[in-house]
Amino acid sequence: MLETLLALGHPPVAAAELELYARIVVEPPIPAGVADLGLRGSLNFEQLLLSRPDLILSSPFAKWARPQLERIAPVLSLPIYVPGEPPYGKAEAATREVAARLGIAGAGERVVADAAAEIDRIRAALAGRERRPVFIVNVGDPRHVRSFGEDSMFGNVLSRLGFDNAWRRPTSYRATAPVGLEALAEVPEARIVVVGPVPPDARRVLPQSALWKALPAVAGGRATFLPPVDAFGALPAALRFARLFAASLEASSNG
Amino acid sequence: MAEVRRLFRRPGAVLALAVVLGAGLTLLAAFRLMGSDRPPAINGLLLYQSLLPRAAVAIAAGASLALSGALFQRVLRNPIAEPSTLGIASGVQLALGLATVYAPALMATSREWVGLGGGFGAFLLVLALTSRGGFNPVSVVLSGMLVSLTAGALGAALILANGDYMMSLFIWGGGSLIQDSWAPTLTILARLGIAGVASALLLRPLAILALDESSARSLGVGVAAMRFLVLVVAVWLAVGVSVEVGLIGFVGLAAPALARALGARSQKAVLLTSPVLGGLILWVTDGLVQASGSDVPTGAVTALLGGPLLLWLLPRLTRPRPLEPEAPVAAPRMRPGKAALIVGAALVLAAALGLLLGKGPDGWSLALGSHLAEFAAWRLPRIVIAATSGAMLAAAGVLLQRITANPLASPEVLGIATGSGLGLAAVLLTVTAPSRELQLLGAVVGAGVTLLAILAIAVRGHYGPERLLLGGIAVSSLGGSVITVLIATGKPEAFQLLGWFSGSTNAVLPRDAVISAVAACLLLPPLFVFGRWLSILPLGPATGSALGLNAGRASLWLVLFAALLTGAAAVFVGPLSFVGLMAPHLARHAGFRRPREQLAGAVLIGATLLVIADWLARMLTFPYQLPLGLFASLIGGPYLVWLLRRGVGRN
Repeated sequence: MLETLLALGHPPVAAAELELYARIVVEPPIPAGVADLGLRGSLNFEQLLLSRPDLILSSPFAKWARPQLERIAPVLSLPIYVPGEPPYGKAEAATREVAARLGIAGAGERVVADAAAEIDRIRAALAGRERRPVFIVNVGDPRHVRSFGEDSMFGNVLSRLGFDNAWRRPTSYRATAPVGLEALAEVPEARIVVVGPVPPDARRVLPQSALWKALPAVAGGRATFLPPVDAFGALPAALRFARLFAASLEASSNG
Repeated sequence: MAEVRRLFRRPGAVLALAVVLGAGLTLLAAFRLMGSDRPPAINGLLLYQSLLPRAAVAIAAGASLALSGALFQRVLRNPIAEPSTLGIASGVQLALGLATVYAPALMATSREWVGLGGGFGAFLLVLALTSRGGFNPVSVVLSGMLVSLTAGALGAALILANGDYMMSLFIWGGGSLIQDSWAPTLTILARLGIAGVASALLLRPLAILALDESSARSLGVGVAAMRFLVLVVAVWLAVGVSVEVGLIGFVGLAAPALARALGARSQKAVLLTSPVLGGLILWVTDGLVQASGSDVPTGAVTALLGGPLLLWLLPRLTRPRPLEPEAPVAAPRMRPGKAALIVGAALVLAAALGLLLGKGPDGWSLALGSHLAEFAAWRLPRIVIAATSGAMLAAAGVLLQRITANPLASPEVLGIATGSGLGLAAVLLTVTAPSRELQLLGAVVGAGVTLLAILAIAVRGHYGPERLLLGGIAVSSLGGSVITVLIATGKPEAFQLLGWFSGSTNAVLPRDAVISAVAACLLLPPLFVFGRWLSILPLGPATGSALGLNAGRASLWLVLFAALLTGAAAVFVGPLSFVGLMAPHLARHAGFRRPREQLAGAVLIGATLLVIADWLARMLTFPYQLPLGLFASLIGGPYLVWLLRRGVGRN
């Protein structure tokens, strides 16, 4: 939600976990003056109160906090991530709805249209590339990954770019990465895209792992590492992923 | 050697069964693997680089932990010592966590040394704390547990304060045996080999150690040096396993205990058979985890199995001991009236501090006038919850310490608070969007069942402090691992449980504060009627009936109230606070000696402690807030360790 507001050119007075945002979401940057509300799971309500918001944007993940939030200001909770449903369209709808509530419906339409145009542009630019199916994963530890399916933003963007997702099961929304590395060998011709951040421990061990090295994609030089992208973001995260993915394809085919 | 052979012949069926089970489960996993439609090259690799090393590492790690446990138990003459009860595993995890956050480079190059530092640090701390008590088994394990809990709380607080939410799960979990090469197996096996040779060399001196200290010294053995050497070997073994595969509890406890249960009498037999049994235990456990198709870390499951195993072994493990006398208090006796006045004033001051002084975007500020009204709506519920929960836990602590005549009993140590978490979990998982009242009911029932179970175990040993504590540890670890497994499912309820586990009071509503206050008002005043029971019960059932007290009925009432109090408090502040242990002792030290006085003093002190802890938890890492329970345990853990050092709980 924070990035949606920033994309709309309407920065909030306060948001949660700014430190983590800087590390994982990265763009768009947060302007100075946005107060940090602390952890998502332990929001600092006093800080929020002192920020005097007119509207609080929330998500179903923060359902527990709704009664408290409603004591401070009206709450608008918009679902983007529903297991089994592609999130891109929901992110578009959320962007429009937020913009409408802020009285800047035009900006909302513009952000949605720009995003769609950007995706189309990247899709066109990648048109000539070989269309291997793609695994998109987060690395949890040297032996486990979280694999993103069609109901994730990454998977959804991937199909919009005209690629097949090699992971055909739904995304697991667990905190821990639940899939063994060997699952990535099930589609031998696939490409593997690792989305950052990679835990330091895994960064050390993974390149030496016999199993990792033996994965058809890795052995064939078809594994790439992307910088951090928020796996549960809105349109800006979708675009960031699309851009980084395209750039990694360019790099691997040039090199 | 004859004895070893006899042992293997007699319980041979047990061992053969375990081997067949382990091998069968591994074969099952292998068939499943080869039957999948992956490329054959990958399947082969998985078999040789993942599946077989997994079985091997389970055996090697289990054997190492078992040997480590057996060595600890021998040298410390403590049947309940093992890497996890001595705090070593947690020390390693905390050190690794610290290094991950503050020195990632160090983590990449020298994990081993970081782990060794943490493991030895925790172990030496436990030894230093209990040296004055002559390494009394209960004190050692209790210190180890407290060091464990404090290290765990520190690790979680560290990660929360750094603004990372998910990693706390990551740190708490661990103990996954999934492998991608033979390297960890070989490392662990090499250590096991070296340690095996070392312990074989030390076997003779160890036999002498089993004699009492004076005769050993007269035989010219450098007892202290020898002991230390063996301990170094044991710690080194445990750290190795912990660094390679994470936290795997109870194997080091279960294997030697099982060896004894199967008939191993001499220390040689125990030391030789324990590693075999340990390897088998972990192999079979891990095989079951794999066969179930779940991705729960095996370490969480060993704790799950370890709890009941420990309970089953309890009667064999410990002899009934005489009641532990209350430690004499040297502090000058203050008049209870005056002390109550001081503590009461402290409570009022703490509440005022919590209500008025806070941090905001522009730094510190004093809330006055209209600001106060606005803030009070947020701060008051937290303060009320903290105060009433603190008071109820403290009262439960007094009741439990009096019922069991055990100065170390408390809702937290006896696992009753964890039990209330199980009740809460059952409600959260079976009812959609349960009300607070229903959650409260679940917590109370969970606490009650747990308390009765522990007392049922303890009563057979006439409340022997060892049994009671061991039962508590077992129940705690059982409950803790059930909760870990539930959290690993990643459902929204699981996150609610995680919040509960860390004792967050951030999300409380005014209605919750009212519930908590009503509970406190209903439950606390009747306790003062029990004054006479509370002074007679610790003297034992014989004295009780001589004085015309129906001990059974009295105990039942007190148990009921202790469960109600614990459940009502733990539903809000979680299982980790230690207020129930601290407050009764602080009250006694402050001069509240007689049961009713102690109760009143503990209630006031408990309330004050949690109110201050709540304020600190809100302020220290502003705007990132630490969960109240976690933070209170950071104060409570070290306090208790200090208390142990002063000699409470020494026989």
